[in-house]
Amino acid sequence: MSTMELSFKLNGRALTLNVAPDTLMVDLLREDLGLTGTKAGCREGECGACTILVDGTPMNSCLMPALKVQGREITTIEGLEKADGSLEVLQEAFMGEGASQCGFCTPGMILTATALLKQNPDPDEGEIRQALSGVLCRCTGYRKIVQAVKAAAKARA
Amino acid sequence: MQDKMQDKNKTQVLTKARTGLEHLIKTAGKSLTVAGTSVARRDDPLKVTGKLKYGADYPDEGFLYGKILRSPHPHALIKSINTKKAKELEGVVAVLTAEDVPGRNGFGAIIPDQPVICGDKVRFIGDGVALVAAESEKIAHEALKLIEVDYEPLPALFDPRDAMAEGAPKIHESGNLLSDDKMVKGDVDAGFAEADVILERTYQVPFLEHAYLEPDTTMARLQPDGVMLVEGPMQAPFTTRRNVAPVLGIPINQVRVRQIHMGGGFGGKEDSPIDIGCRAAVLAWHTGRPVKISLEREEITIQTAKRHPMIMELKVGAKKDGTLTAFQGVIYDEQGAYASLGPKIPPAGGSHVHAMVMMPGPYEIPNVKVDAYLVYTNHPYGGAMRGFGAPQVHIAHEQMMDELAAELGISAVDIRRKNAFKLGSATATGQVLNQSVGLRETLEACAERFDWDRRLAECGWVDQAKTKRRGVGVAMGWYRTSIGTNGDGCGAAVHVHEDGSVLLYSGITEMGQGAFTVLPQICAEELGIEPGDVRIVQPDTDLVPESGPTVGSRSTTLMGNAIILAARQVKESLLDTASMMLMVPTERLEARGRKIYDRENPGKSLGFAAVAARTMASGKRMIGQGWWTPPPPSLDGHTGQGSPYHVYTYSTHMVQLVVDVETGEVALEDYVAAFDVGKAINPKALEGQIEGGVAMGLGYALMEEVVLDHGVTQNPSLQGYLIPTMLDVPDIQPLILEVPNEMGPYGAKGIGEMPNIPATPAILNAIAHASGGRVSRLPADPEKVFWAIREAGGPPQA
Repeated sequence: MSTMELSFKLNGRALTLNVAPDTLMVDLLREDLGLTGTKAGCREGECGACTILVDGTPMNSCLMPALKVQGREITTIEGLEKADGSLEVLQEAFMGEGASQCGFCTPGMILTATALLKQNPDPDEGEIRQALSGVLCRCTGYRKIVQAVKAAAKARA
Repeated sequence: MQDKMQDKNKTQVLTKARTGLEHLIKTAGKSLTVAGTSVARRDDPLKVTGKLKYGADYPDEGFLYGKILRSPHPHALIKSINTKKAKELEGVVAVLTAEDVPGRNGFGAIIPDQPVICGDKVRFIGDGVALVAAESEKIAHEALKLIEVDYEPLPALFDPRDAMAEGAPKIHESGNLLSDDKMVKGDVDAGFAEADVILERTYQVPFLEHAYLEPDTTMARLQPDGVMLVEGPMQAPFTTRRNVAPVLGIPINQVRVRQIHMGGGFGGKEDSPIDIGCRAAVLAWHTGRPVKISLEREEITIQTAKRHPMIMELKVGAKKDGTLTAFQGVIYDEQGAYASLGPKIPPAGGSHVHAMVMMPGPYEIPNVKVDAYLVYTNHPYGGAMRGFGAPQVHIAHEQMMDELAAELGISAVDIRRKNAFKLGSATATGQVLNQSVGLRETLEACAERFDWDRRLAECGWVDQAKTKRRGVGVAMGWYRTSIGTNGDGCGAAVHVHEDGSVLLYSGITEMGQGAFTVLPQICAEELGIEPGDVRIVQPDTDLVPESGPTVGSRSTTLMGNAIILAARQVKESLLDTASMMLMVPTERLEARGRKIYDRENPGKSLGFAAVAARTMASGKRMIGQGWWTPPPPSLDGHTGQGSPYHVYTYSTHMVQLVVDVETGEVALEDYVAAFDVGKAINPKALEGQIEGGVAMGLGYALMEEVVLDHGVTQNPSLQGYLIPTMLDVPDIQPLILEVPNEMGPYGAKGIGEMPNIPATPAILNAIAHASGGRVSRLPADPEKVFWAIREAGGPPQA
């Protein structure tokens, strides 16, 4: 199959690649670029484990043709870690509150919460639950995830 | 309050005669430094950065991709298979049928009744009839379409009662009744004669999907030395190994199974890795190439084990004051097409056996009779799922208790106060509960925290228009630690190195529950070092001692004890060295905070690392080994009497919710879940188990069901199979009580499965309380709640 040129910004770095038109973003990230922090849980846009930020907005990468990100700015979980190895407040809060169990939903949760806190630095519980409801977790019952987002908001205030 | 309860219980324990003392490892009374604290999860930094590698994250190393051709018929004979066209497709390396299986063509966690590749017949939609290995997943898919199979459909059975009927078509040669067991205590006829009220009810629960978020993956490769290496996310590496070896026709020591961190398991990754592990190994065996099989979400829903569906008939008798006099029950436990983890393992293992023992609930009842049948059908098969038989029967007995209370005009809490187990109670199997019985304490603590009386008084219509009604619900529960089989031993090894760092060898797997955090805590506690000084080895059957599976809420307790024994063995060697270095007798030495010191003169001390180095240099023991087996379980095959499980965890849940009586929709508002856990080794991880378990129980109550029509799964996706989202789950408040288990490490009991068990009936009871609608066939989705309210003659008007 012929390929097409795709240019976008990934975790702060400009990239130009040749991709087959039927390539999905989740596969481009995981298989071609080796960024396996983005998870594929259902490949039908239901579980949210594949969430990435597209220009700051959380989206399911499993339903997204890679060519759709032309010219966009993409953030994956790997992009949150700073150059000096330090972590984002949300990542610290997830650890502090015990918000990860199996951890499979964690990247999608953290990225979705990152977008939320950017838009609304002091969300109430209802707003947190609404914003994160597209990411499924089968382990935690969500309580400690909500607490982690609250803790991160507080720490950043 | 907690302390008072502990003291009270401890005093009572001392006055009772006990059995199984030879299994006692003394840990009581030890003042703890590491165990009992919320040590941060070991793997958290990898999880929050996306660096943790799950099965699917391992790089492609020249794998072939394996795919399974599945039967479209629930029950059929295979007349012929033509694989010629598939084999000719470019990129296809192997297409295998039944005759290509090198050894035993069957696998199964307990009975190898499931063909690796079906030869003569298929027994459910999803049965594997051919295997393909190809250079890409896409080619493998294409190849499946080119395989031609000629089937002769057979009459299929979808109800266990039909399958038990005389003359029913046989699904397996041995017949459709896989197992039947009976539990008889006292005289139920006499008990019912004594009763003022007798109620009879039937409850029915469907197949459930685990819906772990990480899809199953397995990788098999034949190593140059002829050893077959199978890797993947799995809960039971030893069970996988036990199956792969005979399927290949080689000894167990020629198979090596490595576990990869799991993205959730909940019992489901106990046997699905056996299935795809055997199949990937057969493909690797034939091709000589590494083979990867990854299941798609649809395949997971169709193919892998489910929670057993049950039809449960109950009859209960009580006096006017609520005292239970008799209980009679029948369980039709639907096994589906293959035995998986369902069948009985003597004396007390098995889905229906477990359900039978638990069916009368955690209540003192003098007269009990339960018949339990485990039956093959042409549906997908039942396996282990968080609670293994217990959630089903709790849904029945806890609803029955509420219905009985309503009939008698007493409160749902009072009827439980009247009958709940206490220290010294005899269960329906005649087992006297002689230690660590905190059930009533959970009821009182839960009622206090929930403020039951006030909330109960405040229930009723929420709005003027009378469309929404608020209600409260309560449910209790009990659950065993370990699995009730004779072979439930668990081994560990602790290797101290000359710099004081420690490797812990355990076969218990990490699936998110926190074993890799809690087990090093126990090891560190015993050696007197920090949890970070202990690295736990990723389970690998070539490295770790046989530990049994990571199931049955057994890991912390059984493995915890094995680790304590292992640590003590090596510690003895270290203390011997320290004794000579300090010129202090070993009995006076204490190991704590990375130091070994004289208890009578704490200034006289040595660093743990210095002692380790000297011990090593002296040529003394640096490795400790431990093995712990619970007291032998007993359950008479004819009467169901005995002591099937060595200790139980207890719980009470209370919930407040609102039902929209016009639409049947349910919204949870508040939730308190109280547990007697014996001892919380890591309170935060334990809370996580509770909160997640309640959410899973909520899904069972309100939305989850694998919908089957003539054997065809109607909702094989997370679009169709709904699990709770963040908007469905309320803020769950966990309440932890500690009535110590004298058989457990520092008093701990199992907790992995208990949390979801009372959650489902607590919610169903609250729905009935709010709306008058009693849903006896799950799930209580809006449509069922709507009709249940109408069947009850409309909501209460008060």
